[in-house]
Amino acid sequence: MVSLEQSSDCRTIKGKNVGMQETPSEQLTAALVNVANNADKKAYAYLFSYFAPKIKRFGIKQFGSEAMAMELVQDTMTSVWRKAKLYHQDKGAATTWVYTIMRNASFDALRKVKSNKEDNLSEEIWPLFHDEQVCEKSFKDHLQTNQLKEKIKSLPAAQRDVVVGVYFEDMTQEQLAQHLGIPVGTVKSRLRLALKKLKVELGEQHD
Amino acid sequence: MIKYHPSKQLMQKHVAGELPVGLSVAIAAHIELCGACKLELDALESKQAEAAFTNSGSYSEEAAESSTEEDLAFEAMMNDITQLDMSSEMVPRVPQMFDYQDKSVQLPRAIAALKLGSFINAGKVSRARFELDEGPLRSSLLHIKPGGEIPEHTHTGFELTLLLDGSFEDESGSYVPGDFIMLDGRHNHTPKTEEGCLCFTLVDSALHFNKGLSKLLNPIGNLIY
Ligand SMILES: [Zn+2]
Repeated sequence: MVSLEQSSDCRTIKGKNVGMQETPSEQLTAALVNVANNADKKAYAYLFSYFAPKIKRFGIKQFGSEAMAMELVQDTMTSVWRKAKLYHQDKGAATTWVYTIMRNASFDALRKVKSNKEDNLSEEIWPLFHDEQVCEKSFKDHLQTNQLKEKIKSLPAAQRDVVVGVYFEDMTQEQLAQHLGIPVGTVKSRLRLALKKLKVELGEQHD
Repeated sequence: MIKYHPSKQLMQKHVAGELPVGLSVAIAAHIELCGACKLELDALESKQAEAAFTNSGSYSEEAAESSTEEDLAFEAMMNDITQLDMSSEMVPRVPQMFDYQDKSVQLPRAIAALKLGSFINAGKVSRARFELDEGPLRSSLLHIKPGGEIPEHTHTGFELTLLLDGSFEDESGSYVPGDFIMLDGRHNHTPKTEEGCLCFTLVDSALHFNKGLSKLLNPIGNLIY
């Protein structure tokens, strides 16, 4: 999915703001890809030195506290390292990806301050890894296609029953568990396995 | 066709992470149902990212004069982080269903994630609160049986309704799932539904019921929303 402004060609954005906003978008994105593919610590150090001070300023503006700002840097940059493999260049610039991680961490921190809740809802409000969702959606959209039906038929019987029950017979997972005489947890894990398998089978063709 | 979308201003605050949870949940749920707003979200995110992370922007000028102390703190932090394992798993999400009135409906992800209290019934209307603890802001899941109606009322603050399933009508027209209907204190309305409906609602203060009998029903307003 390509957004309106964040074309893969970063020069369009740069061109508009010559002199005003110098952002080395291409280098940052290349570094992030390098971290993702090779766990390259040098590339990460470059990302860190670029983003950390800016995240800190953002945090100070957001929380009015240096300690909380440093925590925001820690949370954000930890996710950038740990989740780098889940970044895909075709989804947008590295700056956008890091921004969403920072925004999410900041949202959760503010919620903790305001309502004393640690429910970390940001991940549900702004899912970072859209493809899970898109996949789920396109999975639903393509339910009627014969190709998918064929794939479903080829699943192990236990997984097939769960997929058919949930998606074709519109049963809830609880109803299905009762119907099949198995725990809800088992329904969930079979469904998860089945979806994973189907996703692999159907490959990238939904992108 | 979805006709009612979050305003541009709301979208900007949503992208910046500056809205109350209930409101951002509603916008996220709308976006899950609305391709146009999804595109707008992506565009706004990349714009705000540019503004936050430019080398000459407001955050970096001050940052330029970093202290040795800060440099050392950052270096220690970075070394700690790169000791951590990288994760690569992606867990496929199983859609969450909600059952009401003999139907089973897939809930938008952000709504499905919230903790829901128990349902209270008032005639054809059933309401359960989400346990968000946001003071005067109250987020609820509301369903109304076919032929149900909510007495005419206005609000001192705002009332947001996100229609999730079914349909309803009021003085301004009829609504379809995905419609994001924001009303403020100037509006009053009498929503009714022929086929029944399921909604996410958010109100920021007490409701006022306007007409004769409805006034007597005012306590119901607090019950419903
Ligand atoms: Zn929309």
